[in-house]
Amino acid sequence: MTEAVAVPTPRALVHVLEERCKACEICVITCPQGNLKLSTRLNRAGFHPVEFASRGTRGECTGCAICYWVCPDAAISEVLARK
Amino acid sequence: MSSPAKEQRYLKGNEALAYGALDAGLNAYYAYPITPSSEIPETLAKEFETGKYPGYKVFLQAASELEAISMVLGAAATGSRVMTATSSPGFSLKQEGISYGAGMELPFLVVDICRAGPGLGNLGPEQGDYFQATKGGGHGNYRLIVLAPNSVQEMATFPKLAFDLAFRYRNPVLILGDAFTGQLKEGVEFPQLEPARFDVSSWALTGARDRPPHLLVSLELDYAKHYKHVAAMYEKYKRIEEAEVRFEEFETGDAEVVIVAFGIVARIARGAVNKLRARGVKVGLLRPITLWPFPSTALKKLAADGKRFLVVELNTGQMLEDVRLAVGNDVAVDFLGRWGGLLPSEADIEGMVNRLEVTAA
Amino acid sequence: MSEAGMEVKAGRLEALTDAPTHYCAGCEHGTLTRLIASAIETLNIRERTVMVDSVGCSVLAYNYFNCDHFGAAHGRAPASAAGLKGMRPDLTVFTIQGDGDAAAIGLLELLYAAKRGTPITIFLVNNGIYGMTGGQMAPTTLEGQVTTTTPHGRDVKLTGTPLDVSKLLAGIDGASYVKRASLVVTELAGPRGSVYAIKNLMDAKRSVENAFKVQSMGGFAFVELLSTCSINWKMPILDAKRFANTQLMKQFPLGVYRDVFGVEKK
Repeated sequence: MTEAVAVPTPRALVHVLEERCKACEICVITCPQGNLKLSTRLNRAGFHPVEFASRGTRGECTGCAICYWVCPDAAISEVLARK
Repeated sequence: MSSPAKEQRYLKGNEALAYGALDAGLNAYYAYPITPSSEIPETLAKEFETGKYPGYKVFLQAASELEAISMVLGAAATGSRVMTATSSPGFSLKQEGISYGAGMELPFLVVDICRAGPGLGNLGPEQGDYFQATKGGGHGNYRLIVLAPNSVQEMATFPKLAFDLAFRYRNPVLILGDAFTGQLKEGVEFPQLEPARFDVSSWALTGARDRPPHLLVSLELDYAKHYKHVAAMYEKYKRIEEAEVRFEEFETGDAEVVIVAFGIVARIARGAVNKLRARGVKVGLLRPITLWPFPSTALKKLAADGKRFLVVELNTGQMLEDVRLAVGNDVAVDFLGRWGGLLPSEADIEGMVNRLEVTAA
Repeated sequence: MSEAGMEVKAGRLEALTDAPTHYCAGCEHGTLTRLIASAIETLNIRERTVMVDSVGCSVLAYNYFNCDHFGAAHGRAPASAAGLKGMRPDLTVFTIQGDGDAAAIGLLELLYAAKRGTPITIFLVNNGIYGMTGGQMAPTTLEGQVTTTTPHGRDVKLTGTPLDVSKLLAGIDGASYVKRASLVVTELAGPRGSVYAIKNLMDAKRSVENAFKVQSMGGFAFVELLSTCSINWKMPILDAKRFANTQLMKQFPLGVYRDVFGVEKK
């Protein structure tokens, strides 16, 4: 569960359970803002788990939760958004 | 909660079994027609409409034997008293379901009204499913408790015994009848039955409210765990072997030859014993009532008394092997078999015993 | 674990256990698992839900869903579900089955559960192949598709054409809800190149919820969900998505095939 690029007051946050991630990258390609990418770490299963950055390659995380729904492994365990 | 009347009724074996199951608190019946067992679902269908048995909630005719046994398993998983009946070809089809049910330790009742095999065979009585019933039939390591009725009266009382055993030990139970006993009409009484209560709350699927989920599955990918699971099942089977053997002895005390027979053949053999005894021949009969657990100890005892055995079955020699196993190689075990729907007559059995007496002398 | 001033938009589901799944990376079996768990939570039925597990990729689902489970034999889940539901009509009973389990060995059980209008919910994961056993031909394998038992491509003259289960069930007048949806993310051309949409996935999510609702209304509900199998199709994950969105979807058009209670319109 990491936040590689932090934004002081993020609109939304995504929690990743790294041990569940199988690096399928569906969340990476479906995230509209580019907030997710594979890390260089390895989890116990030998995958590079995905990591979340509030400021992504295309913008800031809006809490749309697309990553949550597309993740086949419930590795994206929680999406939080400012009320 | 008794059948329509407490007085003697005159019924076919199959009908008596159906009423016996209702008296034993049957909750659901899953049907597939096959001769010579169809009177069982037909009777149960008739009684379903009457609403006389408040616990009897489902009668459903399935589209195949496979569908029927699969429904039995799902219903049994709720802790309900459920049953299905068939004949030999259908019994073959149900083996997968029985194996699953035994592996999941589910209580349920299967009835096989045997007919001639192999294949489609014919509709005559046979006991050719003995191996299938007692040695597995389905894949894997398990045992079925097998009851062999030999009269319409036993067809009426065995369902209650079967359900009690099934729930006490969490194991499927088989009533192994035959075409003759299924179709035979005799007077029968239905005793008032106290429904036995068994606590299923530790395993039944009822919705995981205020408890952890119950998993009724037969898959165990961890070999060590699966070994332990089956070992525990076989501890259970040992307890059943110690406590639930049932058999009947007739005139075995001073017998020199003991006939071993089950089901309808035992009726014929009993008549032969009476006729032989009237002529001074020292012959007796041991009738296994549970085919599994098998009365090995009783047979061993008789063998130790120096008796020889004549196994009479409606097959080519199936229970014969269990008798040989029980008494050992140094004891004479002879065999008289009929199959294909044929029955031995009393005279056939008498003739065989006489031949044995002659060779023994 | 919520941060100050934030609310949980999508969170942990009680109907899911903590066990990581054995599904292959990118497999929509996992996606469906979350959709079902979410529907169970939304409808608040976890404590009276029983899953009848089938034999296929989902055979270990009893480790993933936090409810009672019954492990049926291959193809028999609808029958065991019917037996269970018949004794306990107050319980919500559902199955997850593969295309082999439901459309080959279990076709009779599926058809008759539908024919009788048995009030259970069946989810068929259609990935056009026998996944768990290593990639053999399934009833839904496409013409010309290479599998381990059709190494030269499926020959429809020998094996028949792919079986359309939703179309088959559409004609069964005991069924109350027959829907084909897709769990696969869709690639769209966007201004910055490829954009992936989840419109189909969200429709699948609604279909899953409908399928449980229909059971509570006393009807038989069936949802066929197109999925991928990148391992056995021998394609990278993204290529598998493309294959599903083109070839598989062309053979098996999405849509409402039967909706007696009109749940789709609500």
